[in-house]
Amino acid sequence: MLKRAVGFILIISVGLFYSCKDKKDKDSDKVDFNKGALLENVSGNIIVPALAQFNGEVSDLKSSFVTFKNDPTNVNLEVMKSHWKASYLTWQTVKIFDFGPVRLNGFKSATGTYPVDTAKVQANMTNGAYNLATISNLDAIGLNALDYLFYKSNALSEFQNTPAYMQYAEDVIGKLYNETQTVVNGWNSYQSTFNASTGTSSTSAFSEFVNEFNRDYELAKTAKIGIPIGKANLGLVKPEYVEARFSGISFELLIESIKALKATYNGNSFINGANGIGFSNYLVHLEKINLDDLINQKFNIIQSKAEGFSVTLETAINDPSMQNQLDELYLHLQQQVVNIKTDMTSAFGVLITYQDNDGD
Amino acid sequence: MISALNRRFKAGFFKQTAIAPLIMFRIIFGAMLLFSSLRFMIKGWVETQYIEPQFYFAYLGFEWVKPLQGNLMYIPFVIMAISALFIMLGFFYRISTFLFFLCFTYVELIDKSNYLNHYYFLSLMSFLMMLVPAHRDFSIDAKLFPSIRRKETAAWHINILKFQLAVVYIFAGIAKINSDWLLEAQPLRTWLQAHHNLPLVGGILQEEITAYFFSWTGCIYDLFIVFFLLNSRTRPLAYLAVIFFHIVTWLLFPIGVFPWVMIFSTTVFFGVNFHQQLLNGLKKLFKWTEQVPEQIKKIPTPRPIVKYGLLLYIAFQVIIPLRFLAYPGDLFWNEEGFRFSWRVMLMHKEGHATFYVTDKNSGRTIEINNTDYLTVRQEDQMMTQPDMILQFAKMLKKEFDGKTFSNSQQSISLKDPAVHAEVYVSLNGRPSQLFIDKKHDLTLLPYNLKHRNWLEPFEK
Repeated sequence: MLKRAVGFILIISVGLFYSCKDKKDKDSDKVDFNKGALLENVSGNIIVPALAQFNGEVSDLKSSFVTFKNDPTNVNLEVMKSHWKASYLTWQTVKIFDFGPVRLNGFKSATGTYPVDTAKVQANMTNGAYNLATISNLDAIGLNALDYLFYKSNALSEFQNTPAYMQYAEDVIGKLYNETQTVVNGWNSYQSTFNASTGTSSTSAFSEFVNEFNRDYELAKTAKIGIPIGKANLGLVKPEYVEARFSGISFELLIESIKALKATYNGNSFINGANGIGFSNYLVHLEKINLDDLINQKFNIIQSKAEGFSVTLETAINDPSMQNQLDELYLHLQQQVVNIKTDMTSAFGVLITYQDNDGD
Repeated sequence: MISALNRRFKAGFFKQTAIAPLIMFRIIFGAMLLFSSLRFMIKGWVETQYIEPQFYFAYLGFEWVKPLQGNLMYIPFVIMAISALFIMLGFFYRISTFLFFLCFTYVELIDKSNYLNHYYFLSLMSFLMMLVPAHRDFSIDAKLFPSIRRKETAAWHINILKFQLAVVYIFAGIAKINSDWLLEAQPLRTWLQAHHNLPLVGGILQEEITAYFFSWTGCIYDLFIVFFLLNSRTRPLAYLAVIFFHIVTWLLFPIGVFPWVMIFSTTVFFGVNFHQQLLNGLKKLFKWTEQVPEQIKKIPTPRPIVKYGLLLYIAFQVIIPLRFLAYPGDLFWNEEGFRFSWRVMLMHKEGHATFYVTDKNSGRTIEINNTDYLTVRQEDQMMTQPDMILQFAKMLKKEFDGKTFSNSQQSISLKDPAVHAEVYVSLNGRPSQLFIDKKHDLTLLPYNLKHRNWLEPFEK
């Protein structure tokens, strides 16, 4: 009995020795990595600069509105539209980071909810006494409300002839402007907290960042493409769910969103695209080079598939001959979910719930 | 052989022994139950785990166990807290232990996505506490009814508690004897490297050798700690190991009260003298008056029902964790016979499940957003566990049967829809693999304890 026990321990010890030994070799080419550096890079080179740029664009939007209000010409409307569009494109980066001051102020839903409920917007204007801060008005404010107000077919004449219409746009822009200020200021003090929060609990900044990155990716997949092409509706298309339907820039927004997610994944600077520390580096550090390649390739494929459309999303979904092309785009979007949500997240050892756990 | 075993069983279980360890355990256990019931409510988990969900994953055979409406769900938790306090004080002890066991087990049976080994442990322990007379000294009951007072009690009243703890440790140890744990140091390698930013120890924690050290030490600790606790010579050192081991796990992993439950429960292994002194100290502190003369009762002869009941309980506790041997395939992958087996912190499984509800006539499908129906925790648990995937699919069928979908051009009503799922799972740091193929209509598959041959095979 004793002999057998000793033999057993010997065998496993030898096995252990060998398995350690052959892993030691791989150890030597491990890349140095730490989560603190990742958070510093992401906050300093992506989040804060993106917020600053968004802030600048929203300020431009606000001042262009003042100009337009004093002189409601088509030229001034076009200037306002261009600032709106620039803001909306930058928003594709900002919206990834739904934690800290963004979460605290409900900034993501207040700014980016779509589709806009046009009937609600109209009713608000007619009634006059509206409170844009209520939850029920989330789909009557933000960038998509402006999409409707700026781009609906008779927008210019509405602005010129309906004071309530002008007032509503002013209120929506004012709200967006104020909230942007709040969030930018919030980040001034939150940045150091964020950088230091490298723990493994689900409330650490690193875990929140990973989880929100996944959530934003899935939201882009589902809301920008899935729902409009009828994935939740037996394949019966829902053009009324198209993002930025009135301006028709939905594909541009999708492409920008994918680019932003890819840049964030790689930790690339928002300002100049320079390489930095991101999830990609963490995966390489964990010897998951194949997964890292797979994720980057998939982002590239999705981007090129999205760039393959020369019409608006609404035109595409109403054209049966384009169904396959849309389905293909969606399939690639879907396949990436497993890469980032299952493989990447599990490699990081990040938890998604805050309750007790015993690992089963 | 049999008669020798029988003699030992009788000696170990039916001889009379000092009651002090049992009394002390009652106080400690009651305090732990009180703490964890209050903690559960304060953390808001009654709300998130028993009020917010729209759907609950019932245990097979316990589908009749339903949550109470809304805030009424607080009632069992309040009863638990009060009865835990009463257990600690030894006040209406039998009723209190019964109520605690009932409420706790009821709550646990509502939703298997909340399953934790230490909840199962508390359920079993409160069941055992219900059967033993832990109120016969230093309790309000003993104050009110001095006739129940005893100096001694049957050895099984204490030894069954030790047995239960031994089962937890030894089976947790046996479960760790697998190639992922010992040869790959997974999942600890994944979990420990995530701590690489901790001051001082972070650097060491991300070293591979540390993960191996933790894995092997953990396995050896679980397998043998009980024997070192049983031996009076090794006991002091063994208990230091208990404290150290569980505090390390508490610091590194989000396992809640479990480390504290183990640290405090294992005091039951301490010698009679230790408990006697502690109890005497407490009695002094609370000015407890012994009633002399103590009644000396004749040693009761073991009743057959107690003897066979104990044997049956012991047999169940040994067989249940081993039932996985009856299933083919990989245990971690298929999870057949996984629960109720003391597999604690044993694997890191992440999955992604996409469900499709299909109209059989037109072949058109709806892709499901799981979080429309499940909480984040429920979804997380469901996506890697086949029985829950099946339950969710059957729920979706019910939900969608008869619903109509339309847009401006057409309208389709679903009748007896099929539900398919494409599920990918990553186990212990491996790249994700297909877990369930989209080809199966899950609504047609049986939900039972038989081997599930519709799972994709696991490739190491």
